[in-house]
Amino acid sequence: MIGAAIDIGTGTTTREHRPPALIDQLLRDRDAIVARIAAGKDLMTLTRTMVATIAIAAAIVGAALGSYRGGIQIGYAAIKLPIVLLGTAALSAPALTAIGAALGRRSRLTADLALVITSLAYGALLLAACTPLILLGRAIDLTYHQMILATVVMFSVSGIASLRMVTRALADERGPGRTSAVIGLCVVFALVGGQLAWSLRPYLLRPRTQEVPFLRYTEGSLFDAITGAIRSARGIYTRDSAPLGD
Amino acid sequence: MSAFAEPLPYAPRGPALALAALGPVAIGGILAIRAETAAPLFIVPAVIFGVVAATSPALYIASAATGTAPPLAKVIRAFGVALGAFGIALAGLLLPAAFLALSSVETVMTFAAASAAVAAAAFFGLRRLAHELVSSTAEAFPGAATIKPSLTASTVFFVWSAATIGIAGRLWWDLASEVLS
Repeated sequence: MIGAAIDIGTGTTTREHRPPALIDQLLRDRDAIVARIAAGKDLMTLTRTMVATIAIAAAIVGAALGSYRGGIQIGYAAIKLPIVLLGTAALSAPALTAIGAALGRRSRLTADLALVITSLAYGALLLAACTPLILLGRAIDLTYHQMILATVVMFSVSGIASLRMVTRALADERGPGRTSAVIGLCVVFALVGGQLAWSLRPYLLRPRTQEVPFLRYTEGSLFDAITGAIRSARGIYTRDSAPLGD
Repeated sequence: MSAFAEPLPYAPRGPALALAALGPVAIGGILAIRAETAAPLFIVPAVIFGVVAATSPALYIASAATGTAPPLAKVIRAFGVALGAFGIALAGLLLPAAFLALSSVETVMTFAAASAAVAAAAFFGLRRLAHELVSSTAEAFPGAATIKPSLTASTVFFVWSAATIGIAGRLWWDLASEVLS
């Protein structure tokens, strides 16, 4: 009965508060989830369920990405990807509350955290739905750089879907500060998410990599890396060969 | 535009002012860690509060001289609320800024993240100040619930904001030169 809720007033455990029902509702009826957050209805159960959803879904996606190299990298990526998503939520949600409060929006950190976590859970579920495509890429021997670009596209789509959910939820609010809060959240979300993901890489390694590091030494910026991957995918290399590891 | 003059549901008070006092110290701490010198711990709050203290009387004088200022007490209250808004916004941006600043390799990135956090918080503080001044004016003059910010008042505020941002930006740039060197 983990995550099950008891309705105050009736004392009954309701089916729609159970984790599977909440996840199903998130996929089918996001407006209802948004209304529930706006009403502040049993946010702890919702947040717990969504944190678990992120952890499991992101671990599955991480494992799929790690399977491109195989071995221990499957476990490493399955550990790191949930940390990226949950860390991004933890670092970004206060910005939404703070910017809104600065401009006169009612301060509601718990509801904002629930909203950000829930939208990220939605994104994580969309990513999990892309897992067969990642495995297909491995099966048809996509090159490393093609896999990276495919991964960037998948993460971009799920990230946009997550932000769209937040935007729609805040659009229902009446009052000052919400537009600036959403813009601020989007900027913080993109910067923090990108940098956190970059800091905890690698997730995707070449199959021939001999030694698998849990974390890679930081070098250059995220922007440099994306530009380099696009050039490499087009066959424009700035090095004589790809790194082989020690 | 009448909505612009309505009081906002949430007005930052005491704890927010404490955040406004501590936030710049925390930003200074981030820069101090990267620069390996304690100077930013003192310079960042000095720049922010020094510039506000030096330029805020000018806004009241110019507004009063052009006949667009609410009473002095209301202006002081508006500055208090705006500082609180600055503090809350900075508090919310502190964690992301600290993460971006300290996880990067380049000192430039550290400074850019810290600068962006302070600049964004200052922007939100200025917006709140503008709103508070207009709503204070509406309160000060009964029957003016639908008061609109006049062109003169807007011009005064814009010029004051530009001057304040310019002064703070110059001092911030000097700090950057010291930290980055």
